[in-house]
Amino acid sequence: MRTSNFDAQITAIVFDAEGAIFALGDGSVRFEGGEFSAAHDGAILCAVAHPSGDGVITGGDDGRLIWHRRTDAGVLATSARGQWIDAVDASAESGLIAFSAGKILTVLDAKDAGFRRDFQHEHTVSGVAFEPKGRRIATSTYGGAALWFARIAEQRPTFLKWAGSHTAVTFSPDGTFVVTAMQDSQLHGWRLKDQKNLRMGGYPSKVRAMSFLSNGQLLATSGAQGAVLWPFVGANGPMGREATEIGFDEGSLVALVASQPKHGVLAAGLSDGRVWLADPAGQGLNFLKADRGAPITALAMSADATRVAWADEDGNAGVAEA
Amino acid sequence: MTDKIPVTVLTGYLGAGKTTLLNRILTEDHGKRYAVIVNEFGEIGIDNDLVVGADEDVFEMNNGCVCCTVRGDLIRVVAGLMKRQRPGKPAFDAIIVETTGLADPGPVAQTFFVDEDVKAKTQLDSVTALVDAKHVMARLDDSKEAREQVAFADRIILNKVDLVDEAELVAVEARLRRLNPLAPITRAERANVPLDQVLGLGGFDLGRILDINPEFANPAHGEHGHVHDEHCGHDHHDHDHDHDHAHDHHHGARGHAHEDDIKGISLSLDRPMDGTRFTAWLDRLLGEQGQNILRAKGIIDVNGEDRRLVFQAVHMILEGDLQKPWGANERRWSRAVFIGRELDEAALRAGFEACAA
Repeated sequence: MRTSNFDAQITAIVFDAEGAIFALGDGSVRFEGGEFSAAHDGAILCAVAHPSGDGVITGGDDGRLIWHRRTDAGVLATSARGQWIDAVDASAESGLIAFSAGKILTVLDAKDAGFRRDFQHEHTVSGVAFEPKGRRIATSTYGGAALWFARIAEQRPTFLKWAGSHTAVTFSPDGTFVVTAMQDSQLHGWRLKDQKNLRMGGYPSKVRAMSFLSNGQLLATSGAQGAVLWPFVGANGPMGREATEIGFDEGSLVALVASQPKHGVLAAGLSDGRVWLADPAGQGLNFLKADRGAPITALAMSADATRVAWADEDGNAGVAEA
Repeated sequence: MTDKIPVTVLTGYLGAGKTTLLNRILTEDHGKRYAVIVNEFGEIGIDNDLVVGADEDVFEMNNGCVCCTVRGDLIRVVAGLMKRQRPGKPAFDAIIVETTGLADPGPVAQTFFVDEDVKAKTQLDSVTALVDAKHVMARLDDSKEAREQVAFADRIILNKVDLVDEAELVAVEARLRRLNPLAPITRAERANVPLDQVLGLGGFDLGRILDINPEFANPAHGEHGHVHDEHCGHDHHDHDHDHDHAHDHHHGARGHAHEDDIKGISLSLDRPMDGTRFTAWLDRLLGEQGQNILRAKGIIDVNGEDRRLVFQAVHMILEGDLQKPWGANERRWSRAVFIGRELDEAALRAGFEACAA
């Protein structure tokens, strides 16, 4: 386990092909190997690994989308009127990058600097997610989720309606479900083939993280005293089925979860600063960080599920082998 | 890590002087840094390096409860701003939220009580309503939002007083006071208000609700019986007015009294109250009429309790706690003010008094 301390908040962590990358509230990016990039003028609000597997793409409150590599950094795009870039996603499959600023979703092509699509929403976009093949994009907003074709310039989105404020969005790994987190401490899902609604509630707190694992058969979320696991098996997904909870601890909340869809391990970061790893099919928790401290504010797992990185509210960060 | 960041909300319609006031706050030599959330991003004329645009996106919660309505944009912007903060080296000391004249202050305030993330990091300090002495009467006549902003405020700044005469000011202040008997009115020209009358008021802080004086209900400037206190916010020699003359205006203002749909109702009782009965009454009142009650504050003398029970409410959101003990020579009495729409004063008074022990 390696730990470090930064004098700013760590707002996101991603793994690229080489290692962990920390994005900070002072606008800088710190690579696990010690490389440093300070291209933003303000806080980094969101980050995702570049589709090439080299480096990180960050969106900032300076309205800039920046690709940082260990050797250099460059601006990929800017938002209209410098609006905050709140959410970003990228697809290694299609090589596309999508980010939101205010009510606009923008799509870029990592291999074609001239490509840009801007899609307008009625409300501010809170989350952006590519479907697994990278050809469609889901956004979460007030009142539901919108589905866009990534490359088509003129289109009307399919709008998946559900009353309330949706704060984050994800696709199931097989591309058949879209799931959002909501302001009032619940999840909402749609089966895309018939837009059938899935209501997934019972959380004591807002859900900040959703992540699929075990070949897409489980959706893990934060927001409860344990990590909540929803079964996504068969055509009905979790409809009519119960969630399970692992690592229940009355004294803390699971603040964040991280996993990889093809692997069967789950990492959880707790409100009391601890971090654990578990195999939902097995027994027990493996504490990667057993010391209590400030709440965990960022958590990530490498693509091969062999490494986990975390950060807490006081700027402490660590990387451990799973 | 750090203490909760205080948040001050500035309401007021276009032309009331909000931008001037904001710039005064931001440029005064106080050594503090402020983050400013404005309603229109890229708005010109605000002199600060941390200005963020919001959308006035009002989010109704899925449970359909109007009183849980929050401002989604504020949740998003506050979360983003907090990412700049770091232990020991804060990026800013306070947040100022500017709203448009069309904004409903309820959801703005409720955001700071309802959203768990916002609540964990920030604390609503106060709501200040800026009104323009020359146009406020017409605004109050034609705009529900203008009436609500005045009724909701912890402090009212009556700006541009140099553009109207004393008689008009008296009438304006009388009407503002009927809408909101809790908020001190500060007169200003070109928004020249001392900053300590806008920032750090603790309007929602139970520990600072020390004095509610419904019987005193200081008449407006120039009205007969007005007592100059620390809330006046002007030099007394500024307007050496004739009290007899003002007395006539007092009648004049009443004669043409504007009957607004919103008003403040002041209640008091000189006998101790039954704590259980009072709490049950207040809970039921807010449950049934919370949609119509914008603000409420009270200090209650509970039978058999040495400490005073202090409460404040925004619509249905109620906070109450036992605060400092009554002094040995202090007058022990209960008083409360409810500001809202279509409130039945007689019924409220009867309900309040029925809580006597």
